[in-house]
Amino acid sequence: MIAFDPSTPVGTALALLPEVVLSAASLVVLLVVAWKHQGPADSRRAGWLALASLGLSALALGWVSANAPEEPGLGLMVALDGFRYFGSALILLVSAGAVLASLGYLERERLVAPEYYVLVLLAVVGLLFMVNAQDLIVLFLGLETMSVAVYVLAGYNRASTYSAEAGLKYFLIGAFASGFLLYGIALVYGASGTTNIVQIGAQFGEAELSLMAKLGLGMLVIGFGFKVAAVPFHMWAPDVYDGAPTPVAGFMATAVKTAGFIALGRVLYTSFQGSVLVWQPIIFALAAASMVLGNLVALAQKSLKRMLAYSSVAHAGYLLCALWPGTPLGMSSLTFYLVGYGVTSIAAFALLGAVGRDGERDVTLAEIAGLAETRPWMAFALSVCMLSLLGFPGTIGFIGKWYILSALVASKFPLLAVLVVLTSLVSAGYYMPVLMTMYMRPSRAPMVFFDRGLAGSARLAVAVGVLAVLALGVWPGPVLQLANHAAESLAQTAGQIVARR
Amino acid sequence: MTDFLAAIYYERWILNALIVLPLVGVVPLLLAPAARARQVALVVTILEFVLSLGLWWAFDSSTAVMQFAVEGAWLPQWGIKYALGLDGISLFMVLLTTGIMPLAVLSSFHYITHRERLYYGLLLTLLTGMLGVFLSLDMFLFYVFWEVMLIPMYFIIGIWGGKNRIYAAVKFFIYTMAGSLLMLVAILVMMFEGYRIGGVPSFAYDAFLTYAPQMGALAPWLFLAFALAFAIKVPMFPFHTWLPDAHVEAPTAGSVILASVLLKMGTYGFLRFAVPFFPDVALSPLVTSIVVGSAVIGIVYGALVALVQPDVKKLVAYSSVSHLGFVMLGIWAATLQSVQGALLIMIGHGLSTGALFLLIGMLYERRHTREIAAFGGLARVIPIFSLLLVVTSLASIGLPGLNGFVGEFLVLLGSFERFPWATGIATTGVIFAAAYLLWALQRIIFNRLDQPENAHLADLSARELWVVLPLVAGMVWLGLYPRPVLDRMDAAARHYIQLVQPGKDTAPATALNRSGAERPQ
Repeated sequence: MIAFDPSTPVGTALALLPEVVLSAASLVVLLVVAWKHQGPADSRRAGWLALASLGLSALALGWVSANAPEEPGLGLMVALDGFRYFGSALILLVSAGAVLASLGYLERERLVAPEYYVLVLLAVVGLLFMVNAQDLIVLFLGLETMSVAVYVLAGYNRASTYSAEAGLKYFLIGAFASGFLLYGIALVYGASGTTNIVQIGAQFGEAELSLMAKLGLGMLVIGFGFKVAAVPFHMWAPDVYDGAPTPVAGFMATAVKTAGFIALGRVLYTSFQGSVLVWQPIIFALAAASMVLGNLVALAQKSLKRMLAYSSVAHAGYLLCALWPGTPLGMSSLTFYLVGYGVTSIAAFALLGAVGRDGERDVTLAEIAGLAETRPWMAFALSVCMLSLLGFPGTIGFIGKWYILSALVASKFPLLAVLVVLTSLVSAGYYMPVLMTMYMRPSRAPMVFFDRGLAGSARLAVAVGVLAVLALGVWPGPVLQLANHAAESLAQTAGQIVARR
Repeated sequence: MTDFLAAIYYERWILNALIVLPLVGVVPLLLAPAARARQVALVVTILEFVLSLGLWWAFDSSTAVMQFAVEGAWLPQWGIKYALGLDGISLFMVLLTTGIMPLAVLSSFHYITHRERLYYGLLLTLLTGMLGVFLSLDMFLFYVFWEVMLIPMYFIIGIWGGKNRIYAAVKFFIYTMAGSLLMLVAILVMMFEGYRIGGVPSFAYDAFLTYAPQMGALAPWLFLAFALAFAIKVPMFPFHTWLPDAHVEAPTAGSVILASVLLKMGTYGFLRFAVPFFPDVALSPLVTSIVVGSAVIGIVYGALVALVQPDVKKLVAYSSVSHLGFVMLGIWAATLQSVQGALLIMIGHGLSTGALFLLIGMLYERRHTREIAAFGGLARVIPIFSLLLVVTSLASIGLPGLNGFVGEFLVLLGSFERFPWATGIATTGVIFAAAYLLWALQRIIFNRLDQPENAHLADLSARELWVVLPLVAGMVWLGLYPRPVLDRMDAAARHYIQLVQPGKDTAPATALNRSGAERPQ
C-alpha cells in the first residue's frame, strides 16, 4: 500500500490515474488507426484496443480506490470518494458495453472508420472528469470534452441525413446548455468566491441563499437538465437518439446520463446541502414533468429507438425523484438505479442495433413481430430488458424502483411515490407491446434483417447485461452495498463541511 | 402416514420443495424434444401434487399459527426475508393449486400444438408463482410472487388464446398491474411506519399485523390500496370486466387455472391481508355497505348476465363473478359459519368451475365452437360427457350432496344475522344459478339433435376421463363429507374472526362443524 498525497502535483496525477491512463491509451489508439484505417479488420482492431484501454483504466481506478488516503482533505479539485469510484466504474462498464455493441454494428452499417473508437475513449475521459470533479471548472472541462466527442459520434453516419441532423442538433442544444452551465458557475462563483464544490458548500452553509446564488443554482440545474434530458429540456433527445448510430444512442442514454446525475448529485449534495428547500421544488417539478410527459409521449411512438428515447426521458424523471429527498438513502437509491438503468439500457440498445436494417433509421414495432419464433433468445433478452425498464419484479429495474420508492416514502413524501407508480403503470402501455409483438403476433415474411442475428461481441454484451439484470434482480446485495457505500462517502464529505463551519 | 412424514422431516423442506420443484422442472423441459415437453410437465406437476399431499396429514388442525415455516435472510439491509408458512386457509389453496395443475397439463395435450416447450415452461413458472402467493409470509416476497405470476398468464392468454387474445391479455395485465402498484406503495408506507414505531425494518407479515393498528389517519388509504388490488383480482363488481374477456380468450388450461386459482388470490388477499390489517376500516359501516353492496350486486348481476350469454364459456365466466360475490359476503360477515363457508366456496368453485371449463374445452376441441345454439341433444351422442356435465353443473348450482351446497349454505346462514337484507337478496343468486345452468344444459345436451355435425361426436377418451373424474370425485366428497376439510380450516377461521372482531365469541358451531365446538378455546 502506497498511500499518495493528493495535495502534491504527483499526488494529483496519481489521483487522476484512471483518466490519465485512458487519455494516453486513446492517443495510442489514435496513432494506431492513423496507420491502419483501411478495412473492417482495422476497425475491429481499434475496437478491441479501445476495450483494452477501458480495462486498463478500470484497473487504475481500482488502484486509486485502494490506495487513496482516508481523509484526503477538502480543498482538492479531484474527489477521492466512493461516489466517484462507483460512478467511474459504472461508466467504464457501460462504455465497454457500447464498444462491444459497436463492433458488429459499424461493419454492418459500413461505417468502418476506426476513429470512432478514439472518439468514444475521449468521450469517456470527459465523463470520468465529470464524475471526479470536485471543482466546477474541472466539471465543466469534463463536460465539454465529452460533448465535443459525442457531437461527432452522433453525426458519425455521414451517409445518413438523419445522423447529420442528430449531430447538428446535439451540437446546437449542447452549446446552449453549456452556456447555461457556465453562466451558472460564474454566478455561483460570484456569490461564494470559489469554484470548489466543497468550499462553496462551506461558504453557503445553512444561510438563506443570495439572489445571485439562487440564479446560479437555477442555471446549473438547467444546464444539467439538458444533459440528462429532463423535461422541459428534453426536446433534442428523441431526434438525436433516433439519428445517431444505435450504439452511440445507447452510450448517450447510459454513460452520459450517469455522469450527469453523478455530477448533479454531487453539486446539490455538497455545494447546496444547506439549501435543500430551495432546490427541492425545482427537482420535484422536473421529475414530475419528465415522468408524466416522457411516459405519455412514449406511448405514441412507433419507432423503437424513439420509444426508448422517451423512455430515457421518463427514467431521468425517476432518477430525479431519487435526488429529491436529499438524504443518503435517496443518493444510494440514485446510484443503484443508475446501475440498473445502465445495464438494462445498454443491452436493449445493443439488441436494437442488431435488429436494425441497413440504411434505414427506424426499427418499428411492427418489424419485430414474430421475433420469438425466429430468434427466441433475442426475443427473450429484449423481453427481459423491457420488463426491467418497466420495473417488473425479478429484474434489477424493480429493485431500483423499489429503492427509489423507499427513499421517497422514508422522506414522508408519498405523493411523488404515487406518481412514480402511476407513471410506471402508463409505461406498461409501451413496454408490454414489445413483448406482445414479439411473442403473439405472426411474423412478417421475409425477415431478412434478423437472420444475421447478433455479432459475437454484441452477443457477449447482451448476455452479460441480461444475466446481470436477472441475477441482480434476485440478489442485489453486493451492488446495494456498493451503492450504500458510495452514498455514505458523499454524506461524509458533506458532514465534514458541516463540522468545519 | 404422520409418522412416516415426521421420519423424513417433511415439515422442514416441503414448502421450499414446492416452490423450487416447478422451476427445476423447467430445465429438463427445455432440454427435452418439443414433442416430449408435455410428458415432462405432467411428471413434474404430478410429483408436485404427490409431495403436497403430505400436507393434508402433517397439518396440525388444532392451531392457527403458521406451520411448516421456513425462513432465510434475503435482503437484510431492508429487513426483507424469504419466509414461507401455511395455515388452515392457505393449506387448501395450495392443495387446490397443486391438484389442478396436472389436470391442466393433461387437458392441454391435444389443445396445444405449437411452441409446446414455451407453453409448459410457462405453466410450471406459473405454478411456482401461485404457490408463492399463498405461502409468502413476507410482504415483499408476496408482492414479488403476486406480480411475477402475471407474466406467464399474460403469455398463455396472448399466445395460445382465441381470436381476441391480445386484447384480453393486455386488459388482464393492465387491470392487475394497476391494482397492485398502489399496493406496493401501501406496503412501503406500512413498513416505514412500522420501522418508525418499532425501530426495526421488517416486511414480515407478523410485523405488519402488529403495527397495522397504529397507522392512524393513513389506515383508510392503505386499506384502499390493498382492497383495490384484491378487488380487481377477485373480481368484484364493478372491476370484473377483464374477467369475461380473459376467460373466453384463454386456452382451456388457462381458463381453468384462472378460475380455480387466480381468482382465489383476491379473496385470499382480503382474508389474509386487507381485512386483518385494517379491521376497523374494513368493517366500518361505510366500507361494509360498499363491499357487501357490490358483492350482492355481483351475485345477482353475474347470474343475470350469465343467463343471456350465447357463448357457454362466457356463461361460466359470469357465473364466477356471482360465486365470488358469496365469498366476499362471507368474509365480511365474519362469523364462523360464513368464513368457513367462504373458504369452502373458494375450494368448491375451484373444483366445479375448473371442471366446467375443462368439459367446455373438450366440447370445443370436437366442434370448434362454444355457441350454445350450435349444440342440442348431445346426451344421446356422448352420454358420458353429458353425465359429467350434468353432475358438474349441479355442483355449481349448489345441489345438496355436492360441494356447492355446503359452502353457499354456510355463507348464507352465517351472514344472515349480520346482513339480513343483503343475504336475502343474495339467496336469489342460487335460484338464478339454477336457471342459467339448467337452461344451458337443456339447450346443449337435451332438446332435439338437430345439427348434423353433432351426430357423430366421439365420447370422452380415457385421458379426458382422467382429467375430469378427479374433480368430480372431489365435488362429491366435499358435498357428502366436508368435515375433515372444515376441521382443518376451523382454527384459521376462528383466528381470522379474532383478528377482525376481537372479543367476539366464536364458540357455537353448526352441526356440520361439531368437532370444532368440542375443542377448548
